[in-house]
Amino acid sequence: MNAKKDLVSLVDLNDGQTGTILSIVGGRILTKRLADLGLTSGTEIKVIGRTLFSGPLQIEVSGSRLVLGRGLAAKIIVEIK
Amino acid sequence: MTENKKINIVLAGQGNAGKSTIFNYFTGLHQHIGNWAGKTIEKREGTLFYKDYTIDVLDLPGIYSLTTYSEEELISREYIIHHQPDCVINIVDSTNLERNLIFTIQLLELECPVILALNMIDLAKKKGITIDFQKLQNILNVPVIPTVASHGSGLTDIIDKVIELKEKKKDLNTIRYGKEIENCIDILSVKLQMIDLPYPKRWIAIKLLEKDNELIKAVWEKDSGIEETTRKLEKNLEEIHGHDSSIVIADERSQSASRIVRKIVRILPGRNISLNDRLEALTTHKFIGYIFMLFILGGMFLTVFKFGNWFSAWLETVFSDWHNLWTGSLGTAFLASMGWSAIESVLALIQIALPFILPFYIILYILEDWGYIARISFLMDNLMHKMGIHGKGCISFIIGLGCNVPGCLSCRIMESRRERFITAVLVTLVPCSAVSVIVFGLVGKYVGLLWALGLYLFAMVLIFLAGRISSRFIIGEPVELIMPMPDYKTPHFKTIATQTGLALKEFVFIAAPLVIISGVVIQGINLAGWMPAISGVLSPVTETWLGLPPITGILLIFGILRKELILVMLAAYLGTSAFSEVLNHQQMITLAVLSMFYIPCIATISVLWNDFGWKKALVVCILEILFAIFLAGIVKRILDFVF
Repeated sequence: MNAKKDLVSLVDLNDGQTGTILSIVGGRILTKRLADLGLTSGTEIKVIGRTLFSGPLQIEVSGSRLVLGRGLAAKIIVEIK
Repeated sequence: MTENKKINIVLAGQGNAGKSTIFNYFTGLHQHIGNWAGKTIEKREGTLFYKDYTIDVLDLPGIYSLTTYSEEELISREYIIHHQPDCVINIVDSTNLERNLIFTIQLLELECPVILALNMIDLAKKKGITIDFQKLQNILNVPVIPTVASHGSGLTDIIDKVIELKEKKKDLNTIRYGKEIENCIDILSVKLQMIDLPYPKRWIAIKLLEKDNELIKAVWEKDSGIEETTRKLEKNLEEIHGHDSSIVIADERSQSASRIVRKIVRILPGRNISLNDRLEALTTHKFIGYIFMLFILGGMFLTVFKFGNWFSAWLETVFSDWHNLWTGSLGTAFLASMGWSAIESVLALIQIALPFILPFYIILYILEDWGYIARISFLMDNLMHKMGIHGKGCISFIIGLGCNVPGCLSCRIMESRRERFITAVLVTLVPCSAVSVIVFGLVGKYVGLLWALGLYLFAMVLIFLAGRISSRFIIGEPVELIMPMPDYKTPHFKTIATQTGLALKEFVFIAAPLVIISGVVIQGINLAGWMPAISGVLSPVTETWLGLPPITGILLIFGILRKELILVMLAAYLGTSAFSEVLNHQQMITLAVLSMFYIPCIATISVLWNDFGWKKALVVCILEILFAIFLAGIVKRILDFVF
């Protein structure tokens, strides 16, 4: 795939920005956990906020809120909407 | 009542969907809380008498999936399969339909009769979400009932439906996967016909493709030939989709859920920003969020301290009148003083412990019901990572502030064994309400409130350092935080009152007998003149190293039963709670530091033992004893310069 400039990790989205999950760079267990929570490729994610010093991100997926650790969010590759 | 009028149902659903509220509504006082056989996971059962029916209700643990990530999930699914309940009531958070439906689909795959309760439908409406539940009913082919559990609305409809379902069984609908997966399921189902397992064949096939360890074990044992077929099918799926087969299935399931939601849910755009949204933004804000948190937690401790002191002082005047009445009428002979020491122990418990524990639990449950605890996890995740665990550990810490036992039990929300253990060990260092009784009742009251708060700060720093050290020594990968953020709710008065009542009941029923026995034993030892001998054995530690009065040796032994016994027994022994007569300021602080860390109480030790084995429990106890004695000695020597 061409390196498009609007392809970033979830962490790189600004607060309030929305992206569509393209892939999850992680092991089977992690990917499956996320899928059971409704986070699969094609899902739209909106970043709501985050804490300072590489703390977790608060996101909104299909109308409900989730908190994801920063390291985990870094493994979710999204396409900026 | 005849046999055939008996029905058994189970409640299943994700956390925060209102399952406990519905369970309490159905069963009221007819409930029984126990443990799952061989597990320390709570099992809640109850009975509902409705029309001519006796309905047994079981509350399954709140879970997110029926894959075996955790013991709770395994228990739930085994129960449904083996006990074949007449009906599973799936309680769903209407404001969060998509995520909840993923679980519903998994339930349907178990091929058990399901009723869907669309709970919190009022909140959904408020958020501008309308759900076409008639259509949902048609798609899933199960009854769908909108409910508002906190008002009790829709709940009798559920029971009427349960009875209706019992009388005439319905065909079940299958939610189908994509063509490739369905092919694999078909091939496996045929192979599985030969195997005798108590599960639906289609479900086994799906779980094999999902690489579910439990089922793989069970099936391979019966017929190892299936392994090869499964592997081949998985490989085929993985080639087509470019993902692990388990992920392909989870993906499709989640997509089915979102397809269903798209068909039945309408969200009105442009709704007003509600007060809760503003609060949400404020309490999780980068800077303001932390200030707010300090304000809340600080306010909590100030309230507990102020209220506790006032209440405690009031009780003291009442009880001292009673003592005069007793000695005035019964004298001070041997039996009379033994009798009074039993009564006095209980009074001391009520006077010293209850005033602090009561407001603490009320505030804790208000924060929990409101939804604030999840915000603390979010804000603290970063700091917790430095201790080798993640933000959810904070929930265990806060529960541990009330009592270490549920604190340690709640460590099961952590995903890996390593984190569970680290969190549990750190929770044993959290000053529980019993320790707070000592800190507030001794240091706060006589030395000063700032010193008491300083001790809490000291404990926090220590827990942080202990976390850093243990995360170094206990090897394993740290897990990242994944946590649903519940919406803020108006705290529900009845829920808070019930929970506080249960906590106090447990406190009184467990503590009172221990207090009476230890009170009488100490008084007996005292009257028999054995006190110097016992205290003498411990005096190298208590007197020489720590500079404490000899009586503390025996108090510390009783303190293993319950920490507040240290103070309560001291009061009972002295016959007064004017501790400043026997302890100076630096002794009070030294004793408080020692009580905070010297050993987990007996109930906490038993939880550690149960969850992590006796070896680890023993190591934790010994380390904490040695460490606390060392630490308190150092503190004493530093205080020598201060006072």
